[in-house]
Amino acid sequence: MLWFERQVVGALMSPNLDGPSRTAVESYVSTTLHSMPEHLRAGVAVESLALGCRSWIEHRTGRLDEQRLRTRIAGWKTSKLDPVRQYVRLLQSLVLFAENELVAEPA
Amino acid sequence: MKPPVETLDTDVLVIGSGAGGAVTASTLARAGRHVTILEEGPWVDPDALEPFSLQEMVAKYRHGGSCAALGRPAIAYAEGRCVGGSTEINSGLYHRLPPELAVEWQRDYEIEEFGTDALDHYAERIERKLGVSRLPGAPPASSAVLERGATKLGWRSVEFSRVFRYEPNGRAVKQTMARTLLPDAIESGARIIADCRVGRLVRHGRRIVGVRAERTRPDGSSQPILVRADHVFVCAGATQTPALLQRSGIRANIGRGLKMHPTVKVAARFDSLIDHGDVPMHRVTEFAPGLTIGGSASRRGHVALALADSDADYADALAHWEHVAVYYAAIRSEGSGQVIALPGFRSPVVTYQLTEGDMSRLARALVHLGEVLLAAGATELYPSVTGGVIARGPDDLVQWWDALTRNSANLMTVHLTSSVRIGEKRSRTGADSFGRVWGFDNLRVNDASLLPEAPGVNPQGPIMAVVARNTDQFLADA
Repeated sequence: MLWFERQVVGALMSPNLDGPSRTAVESYVSTTLHSMPEHLRAGVAVESLALGCRSWIEHRTGRLDEQRLRTRIAGWKTSKLDPVRQYVRLLQSLVLFAENELVAEPA
Repeated sequence: MKPPVETLDTDVLVIGSGAGGAVTASTLARAGRHVTILEEGPWVDPDALEPFSLQEMVAKYRHGGSCAALGRPAIAYAEGRCVGGSTEINSGLYHRLPPELAVEWQRDYEIEEFGTDALDHYAERIERKLGVSRLPGAPPASSAVLERGATKLGWRSVEFSRVFRYEPNGRAVKQTMARTLLPDAIESGARIIADCRVGRLVRHGRRIVGVRAERTRPDGSSQPILVRADHVFVCAGATQTPALLQRSGIRANIGRGLKMHPTVKVAARFDSLIDHGDVPMHRVTEFAPGLTIGGSASRRGHVALALADSDADYADALAHWEHVAVYYAAIRSEGSGQVIALPGFRSPVVTYQLTEGDMSRLARALVHLGEVLLAAGATELYPSVTGGVIARGPDDLVQWWDALTRNSANLMTVHLTSSVRIGEKRSRTGADSFGRVWGFDNLRVNDASLLPEAPGVNPQGPIMAVVARNTDQFLADA
């Protein structure tokens, strides 16, 4: 899983999840991304690099703010560009499914 | 250092062990043929994992369930990748091919001996063998919802049969291929090699003389295998069958014409508790086969996904997820897609283009789905449309007509067919009326790829009937 994908997955997770649960969810998302068809995985990776540029610069300059990232992701969710919308939908689906299936009682 | 190639010989090689491969293998093995089945996925004990759970997705679904057909919009799809194929992961609902479609396909694709009587003969044989039956007793609440809603609206609904047997203690056991026809084939002398991916077919003129495959050992290492065969049946499903043929240089009408049932979903909240252990067996058939309404798996994870698809605030609904179930409306699509094997890639690219008519039908399907759920007493409906409003009454459904667009629809499917197609009309088909690939004497396709169009119902029954028919023809010709 790429750096920005990890940031997005972290931002999409319920903030009340404990450490082990977060690790389990992240591990599931990482495994599933790894097992995707190559061309789809490549597309997701390209989007991660493109969408993650700004966040990476903010991270390097110590200005990365999780709340700002959440707002940005919320905007992408309703993007008119289908690949951008589907990017968030994919990662959110994996996070939500894992949160609700792996973790017995998520807060 | 590469391990030496292991060579095996067989009379009939069957590639894939789902509904197509299992029927083919069991019929041929019982007829005394020496059959070898190669299955790309693992053997998983059918009782080992909870149906529709995350663990099942990881173990039995291709790519862990994360596949999508590219297009506008992209359409997520799921298919099995294990011994037994998609029969291990589907709902087990059973339908025969609607008779009007058999007539239409026979005419449009010039398919020989494809009458309803012939297909019904094979369907009856499959039904006897597997045990197709209705639920004993009253349906669960999640299923009764559809019947109740349809009755209030004056629409037709049907409780469909399922490929299930019921044990004396009442336990329902889905009759998957790993439980039924594959053990039957083994008992008749067939052998199954799991975790074995076929890379390409080996050609010699008009004949396929064998396949090159790779078996993954339990320690993760791989063993190259050459399987020499007199006859080869490719039964790897609607995406993998054309991909294998294309990788082997066979391309004429292969991979074109892919069909599916694009599906919209709604998460419906009720005042009362809803069961979540089973997939509803009722279907609203008022608009069938062009549009069918039914219920989906509704574990907590599925409910969360369906709620989130609308992008509305769903926190309260998820907190009360025991009151929520997921329903769908699926259409027969005018559009079509392609399966394209790219050099160097293990997975084919799958595309699908919906027509404007399809988008309109999906919007209508979504509204009808909303109508039936509200009539059944649902208090809140969350559509799988980004930005779609939560419907609490019929007036809200009006907004769904315009909400579903190419930029907002979140679609999925579990039924993929028609990527090879049978018939004597060579300009539109990849195989003859009985599945023999054009230009080859001993290469046959025998799976969902052969159906000329999407059947508008769960395709397992139609696939098995057509496959049984083709296999009998092979035996008669031999």
